[in-house]
Amino acid sequence: MSLFAYSLVIFILATAVATVLFRDVLSVIIVFGAYSLGMAILYTFLLAPDVAMTEAAIGAGVTTLLLLLTIARTTRPTTDALRERIHVPAVVVVGAFVLLLCTAVLPDMYPVGSTSTPVWSNPDVTQHYITETYEQTGVENAVTSVLAAYRGFDTFGEAVVVFAAGVSTLLVLKREVFA
Amino acid sequence: MTPTSLENVFLVAAGLFVVLAIAMFYRAVVGPTTQDRLLAVNVLGTNTVVILALLAAGLDQSWFLDVALIYALLNFLMSIAISKFTVERGGVL
Repeated sequence: MSLFAYSLVIFILATAVATVLFRDVLSVIIVFGAYSLGMAILYTFLLAPDVAMTEAAIGAGVTTLLLLLTIARTTRPTTDALRERIHVPAVVVVGAFVLLLCTAVLPDMYPVGSTSTPVWSNPDVTQHYITETYEQTGVENAVTSVLAAYRGFDTFGEAVVVFAAGVSTLLVLKREVFA
Repeated sequence: MTPTSLENVFLVAAGLFVVLAIAMFYRAVVGPTTQDRLLAVNVLGTNTVVILALLAAGLDQSWFLDVALIYALLNFLMSIAISKFTVERGGVL
């Protein structure tokens, strides 16, 4: 169990660092796909399959395709350098900031599966969703049922926003379809 | 709900596959050509599907297989897309 978790975290960190440091844009896109694969396994391991599916569809599918289309239609800067040069002062500032955030936030986080999280501060509401969801919506996964049924109008609004963004992009590009 | 010894075997196997994923990622980083990287990430994707299937067996959660199926499809799509767009202009982009 811990072998799995540790090697997975090492893998994700390695892919993330490689994504940042690579100089060549195409290599970055490919390595970012590997990062997305690792994140999806992590989400699945933490028992969040819906998030893992979204990561699979958005991270590996749509983002890769979008970035590839972009470099296919623009130019890919040619370079001989394998990786980006590291700007030391920026690394120090960002590293110190992240360290500060970690020390400030991480000690207050609840362990995975803890029953003292704010979710359980109102046990009746939580219990209601757990017990009634299947009967009321017919969806087995409680999280999915909240997204698609209980706050369906909100999700519908999000879909409208994405649709509007797509339409405005087409208007700006003066095209009728995404080619 | 203590895992049986067989489920532990699945979990340890999943862990070893993640260690192998790091080895594959070494190839993706070192390269030297884009084709090497593409192939490395493609194998990584197949590896991911195996890991997810082992997790499904080890943690006894059959819906993990749905994620594995989506990844199998998307991994194929990603490799095709990268292959297509990198040779579109007659030669490697």
